[in-house]
Amino acid sequence: MQNADKKRLHPGVLALILALLAVPALIALGVAVWDDRRFYIVSLLIILVSMAPFVLRFEKRRPGARELTLLAAMTAIGVAARAAFYMVPQFKPMVAIAVITGVAFGAESGFIVGAMIAFVSNFIFGQGPWTPWQMEAAGLMGLLAGLIFHRKDGSLPKLLPLCVFGGLGTLILYGLIVDTSTVFTTQKEITWQALTAAYGTGLVMNLIHAAATVVFLLLLARPMLKKLNRLRVKYGMLQ
Amino acid sequence: MRRDAFSDIHPAVSFALFAAVLVLTAFVLHPAVTGISLVSACIYTIVLKGRRALLFDLLAVLPFIIVVAALNPLFNHEGATPLFYLWNGNAVTKEAVVYGLVSACMFAALIMWFYCMNAVMTSDKVIFLFGRVLPALSLIFSMTLRFVPRLVSRIREVSAAQKSTSPPMKKGVVSGVRHGISVISVTVGWALESSVVMSDSMRSRGYGGRGRTAYALYRFTARDALLAALAAAFTAAFVWAAASKAVYFRSYPSVKCAPMSVGAVIGLAAFAGLCLMPALLNAWENVKWRILSSKL
Repeated sequence: MQNADKKRLHPGVLALILALLAVPALIALGVAVWDDRRFYIVSLLIILVSMAPFVLRFEKRRPGARELTLLAAMTAIGVAARAAFYMVPQFKPMVAIAVITGVAFGAESGFIVGAMIAFVSNFIFGQGPWTPWQMEAAGLMGLLAGLIFHRKDGSLPKLLPLCVFGGLGTLILYGLIVDTSTVFTTQKEITWQALTAAYGTGLVMNLIHAAATVVFLLLLARPMLKKLNRLRVKYGMLQ
Repeated sequence: MRRDAFSDIHPAVSFALFAAVLVLTAFVLHPAVTGISLVSACIYTIVLKGRRALLFDLLAVLPFIIVVAALNPLFNHEGATPLFYLWNGNAVTKEAVVYGLVSACMFAALIMWFYCMNAVMTSDKVIFLFGRVLPALSLIFSMTLRFVPRLVSRIREVSAAQKSTSPPMKKGVVSGVRHGISVISVTVGWALESSVVMSDSMRSRGYGGRGRTAYALYRFTARDALLAALAAAFTAAFVWAAASKAVYFRSYPSVKCAPMSVGAVIGLAAFAGLCLMPALLNAWENVKWRILSSKL
């Protein structure tokens, strides 16, 4: 490196470069040695590598104490809410909280909180091969919500488009990612029949989940966004 | 949880061992490998949590196994030996059944290992390992773990306070939901405000300054080094055996398994050694304890 201030390569950047170099090599290895499991290996690697940039960017800009405690509070609300609805299968507020965070704090925070809720709550509900996919799916919902609905001046979005986005996003994006992971984890060859079977059996669960997201957005989005707005006025945060 | 010697070793070693077992189990689909992994996970579950917990965990895993084992032959009709034909003329092949069974056991083994990992890799170990690499995310992780029980106890307090100050609640779903919403609203407001207070406190105590230290309970001892070297040697031997196709299994187009050879025995023994290390460490510590106490 010629630049004086760039003398030390950030470990995160180094990890990203290594990951990008390692993926093609591992894909080649997977195809050559483990031809039975190549879909699983390659898809898992792609998920991990696609999460890396967000994580590294977040770490690299060294977020301040206020941002960290707020994101932790939002994550905790999401985890506690998921635990509260433990008895109702798939009626999870996880995506709704990620969406609200994305709307209030922007795309990056939405991704971090969505992924963290999935990760931390799986310590209660059980970690498994599905954890990376759930993290990616919930994170993407927060990210998209931030990209579409986040306004710098903190104005509240209309409830109807937000609920439509939350419902459809949960049904299609979240459901598709998580159901595809089931096929990738368990099948050797990816066939249309296996995929449609997985989507078909997952459809009821995904519909419940989408309904849950809409209900929670209807109930929580306005009051929570108002509370977050109040923090902005009271403490000069989220500017 | 019972006293477990493997939980006392350096987190880097236990994490690396779990990672190696999980990756090898997930990537090498071979009946013997899957069987070794599943049986070892069950043995270690008994060591960690006892027989009843093993039964409970296995019952939780059972639906997954049935679905996975049934799904593959129904949708995958490759393979040379048809067993019978479905109503739509598609063949259920021996190869697809074998693949479904093996991958179902693989799935079960992975979940059982994740259960063990949940018990051993406690949150303080996760933070200890990743606090340097991902400081901001580890901090969010640890603060979240502290926030959740605080939120729950706060919800109880707010609920009790509201019941005592407002006129007696009417029975019924509507008033119950209304009560719940107001409790949640108060608690969420409190959580957000208290996170601001917390961050101010963090800043006044010097968060973000230089020279951050970590609460580290673990030292890398000679025993940790020995265990890490053993695990690395086992992993290397098994990867060698798998790469040289001494340990080899395929289900398509026809079921084929590499014949038993010296390489296969070495590879499978190495993998068994790796998977059984947590349980064997416990057995070894028990023997040591017996010897020491018998000398008294």
